[in-house]
Amino acid sequence: MSARKRIFSSAGLQGANSGRRLFMRGLAGGIATMVGLPLFDFMLDDKGEAFADGEAVPNRFGIWFFGNGVHLPTWTPATVGPSWTVPDDFALAALLPHKEYVSVVSGLSVKTPRHAHHSGMVTVNSGGPHYKVDDVRDTIVSTFKYPSIDQVAAAHLMTVDPTPYKSLEVAVTRFRGTDEGTTFQYLSHNGSVAGESNVNPSEESPHAFFDRLFNQGTAEPLVRSARAHVLDAVKDQVSTLKPRLGAKDQQRLEQHLTSISELEARLKAPLADCSKPGDPGEFPDVESNEQIVEKNAVMSDLMVLALACGLTRSFSIMYSTCGSGAVFWMVGATDGQHYMNHTEPAPHDKQRDAVKFNMSQLAVFLDKMKNTAEGANNLLHNSSVYVSTEHTEGWTHSQDDLPMLICGKGGGRLRGNVHHRDDGGNSSKALLTALRGAGLPLSEFGHEEGLVGEGLSDLEA
Amino acid sequence: MFRGSLAAVLLATCGVGCIGEIGDKGTDGGGAGSSTPEFAASPATLHRLTQPQLTNAWLDLLGEPLDLTTTLPVDDVAYGFSSIAAAQKTISPLEAEQYETATYAVLASVWSDIARRDALVGCTFSAVAEPCVATFLEDFTMRAWRRPLVAGELESLVELGSSVGSNLADPVEGLKFALAAVLQSPHFLFRVELGEPAPEHPGVLRYTSYEMASRLSFLLLEAPPDEALRDAAAAGELTDIDSIRSHAERLMAEPGARTSMTRFFRDFMNIRNLDQLDKNPDLFPQLTATLGPAMRSEMEKMFESVVFDGPGDFRSLFTTDKTFVNEELAGLYGIEGITGEELVPVTLPASAKRAGILTAAGFLALNAHQTQTSPTHRGRFVRINLLCQDVPPPPPGVSTTLPAVDPDAPPKTLRQRLDAHVAAAECKSCHLAMDPIGFAFEHYDALGQYREIDENGLTLDASTDIDGVAVDGGLQMGQLIADLPEVGACVARRFYEHAGAHLATSGEQPSVEGLIEDFVASDYDFQSLVVALVTNDGYRYALPAVSDDPAFSDEEAGQ
Repeated sequence: MSARKRIFSSAGLQGANSGRRLFMRGLAGGIATMVGLPLFDFMLDDKGEAFADGEAVPNRFGIWFFGNGVHLPTWTPATVGPSWTVPDDFALAALLPHKEYVSVVSGLSVKTPRHAHHSGMVTVNSGGPHYKVDDVRDTIVSTFKYPSIDQVAAAHLMTVDPTPYKSLEVAVTRFRGTDEGTTFQYLSHNGSVAGESNVNPSEESPHAFFDRLFNQGTAEPLVRSARAHVLDAVKDQVSTLKPRLGAKDQQRLEQHLTSISELEARLKAPLADCSKPGDPGEFPDVESNEQIVEKNAVMSDLMVLALACGLTRSFSIMYSTCGSGAVFWMVGATDGQHYMNHTEPAPHDKQRDAVKFNMSQLAVFLDKMKNTAEGANNLLHNSSVYVSTEHTEGWTHSQDDLPMLICGKGGGRLRGNVHHRDDGGNSSKALLTALRGAGLPLSEFGHEEGLVGEGLSDLEA
Repeated sequence: MFRGSLAAVLLATCGVGCIGEIGDKGTDGGGAGSSTPEFAASPATLHRLTQPQLTNAWLDLLGEPLDLTTTLPVDDVAYGFSSIAAAQKTISPLEAEQYETATYAVLASVWSDIARRDALVGCTFSAVAEPCVATFLEDFTMRAWRRPLVAGELESLVELGSSVGSNLADPVEGLKFALAAVLQSPHFLFRVELGEPAPEHPGVLRYTSYEMASRLSFLLLEAPPDEALRDAAAAGELTDIDSIRSHAERLMAEPGARTSMTRFFRDFMNIRNLDQLDKNPDLFPQLTATLGPAMRSEMEKMFESVVFDGPGDFRSLFTTDKTFVNEELAGLYGIEGITGEELVPVTLPASAKRAGILTAAGFLALNAHQTQTSPTHRGRFVRINLLCQDVPPPPPGVSTTLPAVDPDAPPKTLRQRLDAHVAAAECKSCHLAMDPIGFAFEHYDALGQYREIDENGLTLDASTDIDGVAVDGGLQMGQLIADLPEVGACVARRFYEHAGAHLATSGEQPSVEGLIEDFVASDYDFQSLVVALVTNDGYRYALPAVSDDPAFSDEEAGQ
């Protein structure tokens, strides 16, 4: 019996209040269940990288998205290869303290059919083309044709070592009502077969996200079993109804079934036992100013806790939406970022400052991951975090020389601290590399024009 | 006052490829020159209940009060309408969880009060399978699912409740879990409308009497069918136009109709975004967290007042001097003597220089930037949202940045700077369709405050020339818009799309045109539009969603 199983069977340790828990598969009544377990150092090998019985510490995968592109002259490191650096006035200067964990990718292009914002957003996050639902009024309406890569990773990681939540999604700045389809509103998508809106909505409320993760209701097994029993009955109703519907509605109910099954599996496992932080509350605007720093900090905290505790292994953080109208007032911006991109004259100083600010907010998240110890390493070491934006620069809507980052060490799979440049390369190469960093055994990735058969091997260890 | 042919004039303003013909739906190909196609109904679809619909359905089944504090799935918007988004969305894992949490919260409100619970069930019992419980469960489920149950459905629910009740050694709890299955069912969370073969139109489906009861009630009241509708559904009456009409007229007199129609108007005018209005706090320190919502309420009350208490003529919304303000909004309008947070009716004095929704602060503030006005956005809104015309996006690769302000040159008004739009050939055709309309509103700043001079102290010019028609200021523009037949046609089309929860297809063009004719014939009476809509063929008929629809199997077998 492995060390992990001994811990599991030791009732005295069940209530141990550790913020660090992993989940393992067990078998109860023939049903796969998930059991919360503290990850103690003595369970790991000498390097702290694998369990004593040789099983690797499972990876985490996440995507962190910011809208409206960057300011290219103050983005790209001057030299390629290992040990990138940038001057202090560059946006990535905020990430220099974490650069051992950060690789910069430049030069890649969107190869799918282009449309301002839409193709960039969908392709850099899914590796495939956007699904144009409609031409309408003065624009198009689109959604993701294929799943975003957080869901690709989630599907794999759930088979490796299931967690209570297949994935978790949050947003930092708020969506401001662009009516151009889910591409503009959400980051995490499940893919759309017939034009249905199949998203994993990002939670915008820190309180609601906290409440969901840490106030899970009764732990009473009989009641949880009754709730699962109810969901089973609902699944039967869905399955009976589905064949009577059109193609699009069948897809909608198929997702409904998937969603119920995920909830049901969670109810059939014991309640996750994570150390509970305080309720962060809400962060309303102060004098019309969105409290971005405060909200980013608390959303980052909650996500890091969820990852450390093993509530999920896959996540997405939508820092700002595609074509975001967030006002970065702290750098002196007076208009929404999208509008500012289209009105600020060269040399686009406010956009430069806004991007630099945004990277400082990414640094906050990476810092929290790095400061979360896990064995001999830390959470960031055991993660692969893919960072992107839908345009190179917002005012030209360019989708060449895309700004991308791959953060974390993927449990040793990723080198970190490399600047890779591939002019005109297919943007999916970065997605493939990031997914491989989380341990997905992929030799190719992407869809249609976005399909690639090779990643960026110099980023991998 | 203005020439009736102005719409044609407006269209002629723009160059080739700029603005689509009225009613042209682009990909559907029903543009100018093509003859009106034959009526072809749209396929039936699942409508997910929106937040207010869901809440009203719970209240209808369980009574008040209920714990409604849990987080519910967000009502997204598609093509302007939450109704359309609700016909497209799946239920994500997060949302399934939110539904589950909310379901047990509302059930707990009843189950925690023994007297209330017993009153709901109608008997005390010791097993779910007892006849009185099964009768309650059947009635409850029929109301929740808005249709009679089919064979096996009640039995499954009884079995579920009995099984859980025996596991928990508590039959009363068992019943609660059976109700939880009813309330998390796709038959409750969605309006499932499948249709039945229409004897009068072979090959076409008509919505059943039960389905029409739901369609009417959720559209008109955002709530499930009441007893009279349920009775009419059971009697099979709601496939009959006269019966539908009389129920619709009855429902329009209910208070819920005001809420429901106001929500249509909120979507139509895109003013939900006023609840989180962004303006630069240095330039507009008067913008508080309550001012934006007050602006929204003002416009909604104007709509409600015109439609339900006033003339009924939708066009008067663009010219009325009757509005509603609270202290904060009155301050913005320069109206004295109004105190408190509640909006009260006022007749706008001439000095306010406002009349109608296009000079309401909400429209003006929403269609402006954080720091300055946007004649382009205001004009664009009028074109797209009020006239249902298409304005394409800027051509690919074009920089949409206005030339930088030259600090050494004499200052220019925004309007003068926007001349760059019409100086560039690739921008000209579309901006000539938008900017001149917006220029008429230049006397209202980015928060909607009246002004004679701009932020640089320059005198503003709100006179504009729309292809020979001189318009000076927002009041005249409101009058102009009110006189355009396109506005009525656009409202009718958008209401059709909201009600059916999809964009009208070319095959539905006859239905839309019929609805427009009805609206015109009623002198643009909005309540008449609602009644005309629910009796319109496009609202009552559907195409089979699947080619091998079992509903047609008998028919095919007989051929």
